[in-house]
Amino acid sequence: MSEVNKETILEALKGVIDPDLGRDIVSLGFVKDVKVCGGAVGLTIELTTPACPAKDQLKKEAEQALLSLPEIDQVNIEMTAQVRASSREASGILADVKNLVPVASGKGGVGKSTVAANLAVALQQSGARVGLMDADVYGPTIPTLMGVSGEPQAAANQQIIPMTQYGIKIMSMGFFLPEEKAVIWRGPMLDKMVGQFLGGVAWGELDYLIIDLPPGTGDIQLSLCQKVSLTGAVVVSTPQDVALNVAQKAIAMFRQLNTPVLGIVENMSYYLCSHCGGRDEIFGSGGAQEVSRRMQLPFLGEIPLSTSIRTHSDQGRPVVLAEPESDQAKAFIRIAENLAAQVSIQNMSGEVQQDIKVSF
Amino acid sequence: MPVPDEITRSGEHDVQILWRDGHESIYPARDLRLRCPCAGCVDEWTGKRILRGDDIPEEIAPESLELVGRYGLRIFWQGGHSDGIYTFKLLRDLCPCSRCQSGSEEGS
Repeated sequence: MSEVNKETILEALKGVIDPDLGRDIVSLGFVKDVKVCGGAVGLTIELTTPACPAKDQLKKEAEQALLSLPEIDQVNIEMTAQVRASSREASGILADVKNLVPVASGKGGVGKSTVAANLAVALQQSGARVGLMDADVYGPTIPTLMGVSGEPQAAANQQIIPMTQYGIKIMSMGFFLPEEKAVIWRGPMLDKMVGQFLGGVAWGELDYLIIDLPPGTGDIQLSLCQKVSLTGAVVVSTPQDVALNVAQKAIAMFRQLNTPVLGIVENMSYYLCSHCGGRDEIFGSGGAQEVSRRMQLPFLGEIPLSTSIRTHSDQGRPVVLAEPESDQAKAFIRIAENLAAQVSIQNMSGEVQQDIKVSF
Repeated sequence: MPVPDEITRSGEHDVQILWRDGHESIYPARDLRLRCPCAGCVDEWTGKRILRGDDIPEEIAPESLELVGRYGLRIFWQGGHSDGIYTFKLLRDLCPCSRCQSGSEEGS
């Protein structure tokens, strides 16, 4: 039997479609290092995120496509990922950070920080390089949620070295303030803090920098949208009408500032009873899904109101790490995968904000 | 929102924008300076222009330009003024070409 050539292999793999990007893995340039030895084929599929929700499916489909060729009897596929960067035309700062993803909400108390922390952990666990920036100066909760304290040190170049916990680089105003002290700042100080946290921190190379915002549409949100080109925002809301109405204002703000919204997360979707496992829809249900449909935004998923999320958060070990097999953790992991897929879609789509060339 | 592909110099000190939809705008420098949207040049509550034409020299020119996030442009003018953020929407509305100007008159 003759040895199969590379073209035949690529032709066969053209039938494998990435469900998020809507194109075949060959024309997307995902297929690498094709090696043939007799009836055995080895190759690498390089996805746009290690958190790809279709990872296993793509691998299986590729194996099947190749095994259906008569010349091939053995297939060895290695799955890797190279996260694509969104354009960073606004300035040279954070050049090594591929994607900046703020987590926002209209109302306070919807669980934004808990979502941000668990998304960061889920992305890190998938193999991505992740940073978590706590931009909520009024109520910095990331140090508690991530179980990290201490004062960050300065590097030789005067940049601040972020703290590292669970493999994630973390920066928060909470590291610099005693707990009983409050930040009472006007706009210009907040603007300076955002600038410091972006440009003055040695973030290094990151695939995703998750930014936990304070609630609302104020100085910090505006400063962030002015200083850097954000990949896109995640908006968190509860299913309750009032929360959703305010969430729409956050979405409107991002749209006005030409920052894409990558999707909506519904938190506290239902109460999961820790005794009987029963489900109670305390704040109503499906509200965020309805808003995402109306505003034509991806719905990234829903998270239950559950005691275990709360206790693990208080203990400084997000549920995704503490109980990775629980339904609650799986909900976060699925949302992280959907988010990573939306980031890839954003960066690979024709509508992606290419660099605006300024020469004057 | 209209988005530029390229922002360059036109002539000696005018600003030229090539928009993603193919449109081309050329802004005379002084006209652009007079339309500065900052709180010092326009009253934030009434929207009334505070800046007077006499205040701006005939030969004013931008020294440099800088993008603001994904949505606007900051212009550093000779003499040190740089407070205004010209959003892409504002810039597109200000396009002085005859087609845009006649269009906006019909619209208002």
